[in-house]
Amino acid sequence: MKNMLQQIFRSSKFLIGFTIFMTMLLTVIIYPLIVKDEPLAIIGQGTFFEPGIYVNVFDSINSTHYTLSLNDAAARRIASKLGDQERLDMKDWLLAFGIPENEIDIHDNTKLMELWVNNYDSKLALGMTSAKRNYYARLDKSLKGILGTEGVIIAIKNTETGLLEETNSIVQTDYVNIGQVSSIRILPLGTDNFGRDILTELVSATRTSLQIGFVAGIIATLIGLTLGLFAGYIGGLVDDVIMFITNLFTVIPGFVLLILISFSIGQEQRGAITVAVVIGFTSWVWTARAVRSQVVSLRNRDHVNLSKLSGHSIVHIILADILPYIASYVIMALILQISSGILAEAGLSILGLGPKTTEVPTLGLMMNWAMIYSAHVTGKWWAYIPVLVTIAMVSFSMNLMNTGLDQVFNPALRD
Amino acid sequence: MKRLSFVLSVLVALSMLLASCAPAATEAPAVATEAPAVATEAPMATEAPAAELKPGDPLPRTETLYFNGQQWGPVAGWNPYSSNNNNALVIAQQDNARVTVFETPYIYNMIDGKVYPLLADGPYTWNDTQTEITFKINEAAHWSDGTPVTADDVAYTWDSNVKYETSAGVGAIDYIESITAVDAQTVLVKAKLDAEGKTVNPLVVSAYLSSNYVIQKAWTQTLEARSADATAFKADPAEDFVASGPYTNFFVDETKVVLIRDDEYWGQDASMWGKLPAPKYLAHTIFADNNAGFAALKAGEVDVSQQFNANIQDLWIKDNLPVSTYLADAPYGLGASLPTAFYNLTSNGLDQVAVRKAIAMAVDYDTIIANAMTNQSATFAQVPRSLMNPTDGEQSLYDHDAVKDLQFAGKDIEGANALLDEAGIVDSDGDGIREYNGKNLAYVATCPNGWSDWQAAIEVVAAAGKEIGIDITTNYPEWSVYQTVVTKSDAPLPAGYDIFMMWSDGAGPTQPWGRIRHLISSEFNGQASNWNGNWGQYSNPDADALIQAIPGMTDEAELKATYTELVNIYLTDVPSFTLMYRPQSFHAVNESVWTGFPRGDDGTNPPVPPLDLTDGYSIAGLYNLTLVK
Repeated sequence: MKNMLQQIFRSSKFLIGFTIFMTMLLTVIIYPLIVKDEPLAIIGQGTFFEPGIYVNVFDSINSTHYTLSLNDAAARRIASKLGDQERLDMKDWLLAFGIPENEIDIHDNTKLMELWVNNYDSKLALGMTSAKRNYYARLDKSLKGILGTEGVIIAIKNTETGLLEETNSIVQTDYVNIGQVSSIRILPLGTDNFGRDILTELVSATRTSLQIGFVAGIIATLIGLTLGLFAGYIGGLVDDVIMFITNLFTVIPGFVLLILISFSIGQEQRGAITVAVVIGFTSWVWTARAVRSQVVSLRNRDHVNLSKLSGHSIVHIILADILPYIASYVIMALILQISSGILAEAGLSILGLGPKTTEVPTLGLMMNWAMIYSAHVTGKWWAYIPVLVTIAMVSFSMNLMNTGLDQVFNPALRD
Repeated sequence: MKRLSFVLSVLVALSMLLASCAPAATEAPAVATEAPAVATEAPMATEAPAAELKPGDPLPRTETLYFNGQQWGPVAGWNPYSSNNNNALVIAQQDNARVTVFETPYIYNMIDGKVYPLLADGPYTWNDTQTEITFKINEAAHWSDGTPVTADDVAYTWDSNVKYETSAGVGAIDYIESITAVDAQTVLVKAKLDAEGKTVNPLVVSAYLSSNYVIQKAWTQTLEARSADATAFKADPAEDFVASGPYTNFFVDETKVVLIRDDEYWGQDASMWGKLPAPKYLAHTIFADNNAGFAALKAGEVDVSQQFNANIQDLWIKDNLPVSTYLADAPYGLGASLPTAFYNLTSNGLDQVAVRKAIAMAVDYDTIIANAMTNQSATFAQVPRSLMNPTDGEQSLYDHDAVKDLQFAGKDIEGANALLDEAGIVDSDGDGIREYNGKNLAYVATCPNGWSDWQAAIEVVAAAGKEIGIDITTNYPEWSVYQTVVTKSDAPLPAGYDIFMMWSDGAGPTQPWGRIRHLISSEFNGQASNWNGNWGQYSNPDADALIQAIPGMTDEAELKATYTELVNIYLTDVPSFTLMYRPQSFHAVNESVWTGFPRGDDGTNPPVPPLDLTDGYSIAGLYNLTLVK
């Protein structure tokens, strides 16, 4: 046993796959211990917040301010609103308005802004499209006071008099230390269309998907293994009947069957485990066939015949004399079944036939909602790429482990 | 085993046979569908010799206005008497009637709330006792075959609507006695009178004139001649239709619908528009889903988009595309209808006002609006809830201060919990869920599958349940199932439909009366197929009486008091609750090719509403379009 394990772990493919898989498994186990947020809690008011660090503005105003004299701060501030494109666009508007070209210097901030502020009027159409007019109105708004050097005043409203009373002021050289702001939320993968933290959701979804994969894989493998063992060992009529059923299932594409069953169950009954069971019951076919063919080649071995002569029961022979010889194969089949179970759930959920949405997140459901809210059309990559990568990594790691095991157990494939 | 392999090989052989048949089978209908398209177009080509383009040819981009979000699936017919045409660019007899091909006497403008003459000449007039309407048909108006539109056509259309029980006829038969021609131009509409000799409902009578088409008498008679009975009459695809509008059929198949301008259109007469609409072709590609339509809008292949495009503002803020909406900033459009969550009033606990109100108070509407609608709706802080839509006209119809205390803004978890505790509906077995009658308050919130913004809204409703000890799960049946269940009002709603979403009326000449009636009037309870409203089967005699009284009211103060009372009843009883405001039509435009679309501050007088240039007075927008330089 020890020797075998050593051999397995010497296979680099298995090792890589195993490492990836265990990393994911550990993340799934450890992450919820650290981040205790409800994975489906709606925290963002608005859709698809970009990944990043969110600092509470209110708290940062009220935390200690430090003065840093940085020369490029003003230039950066101006450049973020008034880039090259904006300058050219402003020139276009001013030209259309009737300012002679030689009076417009787009590189002189002060002159350009002066010209702009004095002339721009959002009500003028100047033969422009609606979209262009809106663009200039937005630009004008974002440029308000951009060259100013004075700070801003923070005031609160006196509830009795209704007047504003100054409580604080901020100058342009004020900085806060993020570590001192009391409320910060890191959203490494942003939020989704419901305003949920995608990373937390993704971890929870991966766990659900792994569970679905395990349940589906174990059910499929158990059914396939049992049928395969009996068909292969007993043979005759039993073999014919089992193989007839198996062949029937082979002819009907598994995924179509899966869709039909999921649809007929109705969404109300579709919990994650129900979906897993349905997947398990529709994907055992190839395991049964493969196990049967292995058993057929084993059943006339000497030790099996000896066991028969000793009067052991069929069940005993199958469990003690046949199963151990195909155990490595069964493990590999199980791994593949788990991986395909996860993929099947994702496929079903993308079609809207996955588990119910409010109870648990799954990888497929996350994809489904990202698609419904056009994340792929509007370029919100964080809503679906991480999910895709997770799905790919799960099946990639499992297939790698499988290939690694194959190399160890199948002498023909050894280097 | 041999027998088995024989069975198997037969199966394999069968499947191969089927496979070899497949391409032939799919080819056949393709040929069949192309053929009639050509056949029906042949006469059109002779009618319009200027059109060198043959149907099915690629359309010149600079002469074509492309739409999305209206037509889903192939066109079934052109019969204005039928309600199964699935011909969204052409036929929609509604408050803001679609007047691209068929025309109504008047067109409604949802912005100023007035109707403007289309086929009619000048405004209509009520007689002194408010029992009859008289209006004239524009003398310039003529059909696509050149014959004039007459009062007789209007009368005959009404008679046919009644005779063949079309939806236009069935909807108005209780309110209109007759429509007759006084002379070639003058139409007389007699209203049905109640026992006291007063008009039953003047609102519905006058609204008929702006929501139902005038159809040619001669063509109707042709249709009658070839139809055996009423069913055949309504089932006729009517590809030989005669209409009076600016566009007509050019080309239709499974992938698109194209209308071509009728250059003989009567509306170029100085008494109407004075010119022809700018685009020569109106085309609608039939997209597979919203995402496909959205991608086409983004690519500039669609000019006018009538679909919910999530985060539309990204197209101009992030992608810098020439896309715009009616309003430059959120909510981007004019809210007109009130998508509503109805309660099944027979579910355990939902017969209690406290439970209904608590759920409605706990829902986080700001999140629904920001997330589900991606801010394409006014918030309830901007427009407090009532029965009115956010337009100024409707908002002025009720006394805001009188119902201020009832207008819950949402996310009031504390208030909702207190309300439930006060009503004695508490969690006594400690499982975190409150009980009523000894049973846990467990509900299913539902809406049709694939209606993404509604689904997201329902998810937020369900999330609110957790906060107040009510177990709400979601479920999304297919629309085909959903619609038959919720419109069956002659029996209690089945399990699984405790909280369900449906629409409300938008903007129209009978609003807000029509919307209120459709939301809370008990007259629809007991209908086997109820497409009107009040799907939660609420019943309140006081509300019914007020709803019945409104159409006859002329005193503005009285009207306002009545509307205020209705809002009061609605917000007290909470038989259903508004989840968001939604525009009459989504309206986003891409100005890659065309410009001059209606926008909030465009200064047009009368204002052109943002209804995709096809509905009601928004058709006027087609005459303002110009090509982008």
